[in-house]
Amino acid sequence: MDSKVAITLEHLTKTYIEGDREHAVLNDVHASIARGASVAIRGRSGSGKSTLLNLIAGIDVPDRGSVVVDGTDVTALDERRRTLFRRRHIGFVYQAFNLIPTLSVADNVRLVLELNRVTGAKAEHRIDELLDAVDLLKRKQSRPDVLSGGEQQRVAVARALAHRPSLILADEPTGNLDDDAAGKVLAVLERLLRQTGGTLLIATHSDRVARSCDLTLALSGGRLDRQETA
Amino acid sequence: MTVVLKASAGFLRRHPWQLGLAVLGITAGVAVIIAVDLANGSARLAFLESLDAVTGEATHQVVGGPDGVDEAFYAELRTERGYTALAPIVESDAVIRNPDGDRVLTLLGADLFAEQALRDYRFNPGDTSGSFEDLFDRFLTAPGSVVVSEQTADELGLRLNESFTVVVRGREREASLVATFADAGTLGAYLLADIATAQEWLDSPGRLSRIDIRLNEDELAAFRALLPDGNRLLHAAGRTQSTLEMTDAFMINLNAMSLLALLVGLFLIYNSASFTVLQRRPLIGTLRALGVTQRQVLFAIVGEAAVLGAIGGILGVLLGVWLGEKLLFFVTQSINDLYFRLAVSDVRLSGITLAKGLAAGVVAALVAAAVPALEAAGYPPRLTMARSTLEGKTGRALPWVAVAGMALMALAWLTLTASETSLLAGLVAIFLLILSFALTIPWIVAHLAGLFAPLADRLGGVTARLAVAGIAASLSRTGVAVVALAVAVSATIGVSVMVDSFRGSVQSWLERTLSADVYLGLPSGGIDPDLIEAVTELDAVEAFSTSRRTLFFDGDGQTRLIVIRMAPGGYGGVEILDADPAEVWPRWDREDAVLVSEPYAWRNGLRRGDAVALPTDRGRRDFPVLATFQSYDVNGSGVLMSRSVFDRHWTDTTVDSIGLYLDDAARSGEIVAEVEALGRRFDQRVFASSNTGIRELSLSIFDRTFIITDILYWLAVGVAIVGIFGAMLALQLERGRELGLLRSLGMTRSELSGNVAIQTGTIGALAGLAAIPLGIAMAWVLIEVINRRAFGWQIAMDVAPGFVAGGVLLAIAAALVGGAYPAWRAGGTEPALAMREE
Repeated sequence: MDSKVAITLEHLTKTYIEGDREHAVLNDVHASIARGASVAIRGRSGSGKSTLLNLIAGIDVPDRGSVVVDGTDVTALDERRRTLFRRRHIGFVYQAFNLIPTLSVADNVRLVLELNRVTGAKAEHRIDELLDAVDLLKRKQSRPDVLSGGEQQRVAVARALAHRPSLILADEPTGNLDDDAAGKVLAVLERLLRQTGGTLLIATHSDRVARSCDLTLALSGGRLDRQETA
Repeated sequence: MTVVLKASAGFLRRHPWQLGLAVLGITAGVAVIIAVDLANGSARLAFLESLDAVTGEATHQVVGGPDGVDEAFYAELRTERGYTALAPIVESDAVIRNPDGDRVLTLLGADLFAEQALRDYRFNPGDTSGSFEDLFDRFLTAPGSVVVSEQTADELGLRLNESFTVVVRGREREASLVATFADAGTLGAYLLADIATAQEWLDSPGRLSRIDIRLNEDELAAFRALLPDGNRLLHAAGRTQSTLEMTDAFMINLNAMSLLALLVGLFLIYNSASFTVLQRRPLIGTLRALGVTQRQVLFAIVGEAAVLGAIGGILGVLLGVWLGEKLLFFVTQSINDLYFRLAVSDVRLSGITLAKGLAAGVVAALVAAAVPALEAAGYPPRLTMARSTLEGKTGRALPWVAVAGMALMALAWLTLTASETSLLAGLVAIFLLILSFALTIPWIVAHLAGLFAPLADRLGGVTARLAVAGIAASLSRTGVAVVALAVAVSATIGVSVMVDSFRGSVQSWLERTLSADVYLGLPSGGIDPDLIEAVTELDAVEAFSTSRRTLFFDGDGQTRLIVIRMAPGGYGGVEILDADPAEVWPRWDREDAVLVSEPYAWRNGLRRGDAVALPTDRGRRDFPVLATFQSYDVNGSGVLMSRSVFDRHWTDTTVDSIGLYLDDAARSGEIVAEVEALGRRFDQRVFASSNTGIRELSLSIFDRTFIITDILYWLAVGVAIVGIFGAMLALQLERGRELGLLRSLGMTRSELSGNVAIQTGTIGALAGLAAIPLGIAMAWVLIEVINRRAFGWQIAMDVAPGFVAGGVLLAIAAALVGGAYPAWRAGGTEPALAMREE
């Protein structure tokens, strides 16, 4: 195993059936992403960005090919092991924030820690640390629905990074935010990533987001190609 | 179909389980109503038909004192007074031995010649020529000839022209089946014999139970003038009515239980209707934006409810007919145990019952859908209301709904206090109470869930907290399911506490009342005086009491006179409720006065110092009431008279039961055996038992009576489980995205299923806790109001902690059962759901 490589994709193929015809969303995709890199994945709507993230996270399984994350062939694991792998090694940030409305800001972060058996003072310290980092410590006990969109996404970032995952997958994290809020979220994400040293894979339409990444990959016609950032 | 309806229908087609649950809710509620209605109605109809058949064209009945009517009076009426439309009747109990259990039938001794003027008994043509004359010949020529219905003959294995044993007045008699009634089971409870045979079997030559007669209004005054002392003329229909009225309270209570099932079903329908409306809010918002009016939305939802109600009503009627057949057995058994002899072969369907079921389904569906329909019509165009907004709205409404609940509670209290004795008002109050709690429960649940959440957090972490907090946060989904379950469970707590308290009171009463060590008796007729002498002279017998029970009918109802010669130690067995026993008993033995049972006093509005009019051999006479005594006699008709007083006013010397006080109670078993041996020697099979045996028998009949109550409240619990199932399934559907997120964050399938199970278990626990106050309040109303008003009983309320804890456990178990599939389904949530946009 090459310790410098975070993700290896080989012959990755995923096909959906639409009506009576097959539609190959990913077609024999190959890629290798270095540990600690931040990579933007761009492509039109429906080009397969979310599918790619799902396959890397082990949420979905490919028709063919393999996904190796940190030396583990995710595609070779059974469903339960894939889930446990995801729990320990991957953090998610979604376009729609996906915070749990019935839990406070702190509990939303605590949820992931608890799933990873981090409890008690250690958990409290980590929650405070993260909320402080995203500038929401004062809103610790608030419910998500009283926060602005930008604030909610910062909580989502804190949650995604709480258990110090080696890989962060972000699906259009700024898609629902204005420029100012998007900027703050990106800044927080970058700062925290530097602390954890994780790899970031971010699906986006935004040039600004893509520019902030080390590398941009373009997904088109089921193929993933390197793209020069503008 | 309009596009609006088409759009709505399309949604339901895509959510068939929701559609199914809504229909199931209506079906279950209607089925229970129809089942109870059919069982009660069929039993009632069977009773009326059988009485019609044996009353025939008789308009009146001549009845006498405890020893009946002198046959000479009948002869006088027919031969000297020229009356022809009359028939003598001898009536008693007859036991037919059967390997599956003895069957008690009503022995009807009739003069078939005289019968032709009043009744038209028909017999199966295969058995005789079918003519009266042919049967008459056989009755006269073959001693012991009897007729039963074909169904009874089949059930008891009796064959034509074969002999079998009948026990009448404790004596075994040989009978022979000469024909069967061609009556389709109407006369299933009767054993017809020639009057001479019946008199011989009863050892009462020259005595009749009554004379049935057809009189017109003009003849009444003249006829009354002919009546000998101690004889009375009664309206035949009045007697039937007073017998039937005894079962009114029993049947009203059953109907109330069936309404409870419908009420729980109503919550279920409301639940389903709410879900379908809530889930269609984007659709409704879009339709409104496109120009669909509020009224069109309202009509679409209401119309949909009416169609679902009609479908559920039809299915409910079909299921109800099946269930009614099952319930009929228990209803008939209870009526036979408690009131009168009844044989019912099958349920009778009537158009009214079917219409009632259909109407109940449609009305219930419309009532349940009204609130969601109004809410849907009020959605502003294009606004797809966010969940949080919706829940916020629900949350803000909760305190006001709870206040409305409290107002209903006050109304229930007012109804109780203002109505005094009305049973119907008592039942209305119970339903108001249920509704008041139903409106208050969501508010209580919201607060309890808030209290439980930190506890859940401590015990099971954030995921447990998430599950618990989700209940309060999803009250628009979970609230009604919790209410349905709480109401059903409260009914089990209420009814269990009532039945247990009742059982405890009956048990104490039996222990006190059955003060003798051994009892012997006959269901009807008198014990042979020689046998009485032999039994009471047994060495072990230190003292004895005798009693005689007789039933008087009059225009207002019936009175059961219990005549007792008390043993010295027997007085303590009767609990005097409103006077000093030391003063009452000497007067009761000496004066022409009586004690009345508490139910009798309640039913007839009597109190100490009033009088009871009884038909003595020398005409009606008032007997002052010295006091009331405690009794759980179901007929509520007990008047207790001393034997010495009775002997002064009646010539009847019959004794139908004896209590033996032994020198050593431990010898009870031995004495029972000796009494039975003496019975065989004197050719009279008396029933003999130790007081323990009688207690056990009485309690087993008590328990049997409540089987049907158990069945009905378990049905209500079943309906509630379906409600929880629907609510949890809908909730999981709503939470799909959240569950998907949890899966994507690394929660395994089993952890997610566990999360949902924690949620349903907590819903059960909250419903169980909420059910406790309602259950206890319901028990109180059942004991202090319903039983009191229906039967006049005073029961000491005893809330056994086991029933309360059992209720909570039942709620949790029901919720877990109802939530099992949704929990399993939640485990299978695809994490990719979380990645999709709303």
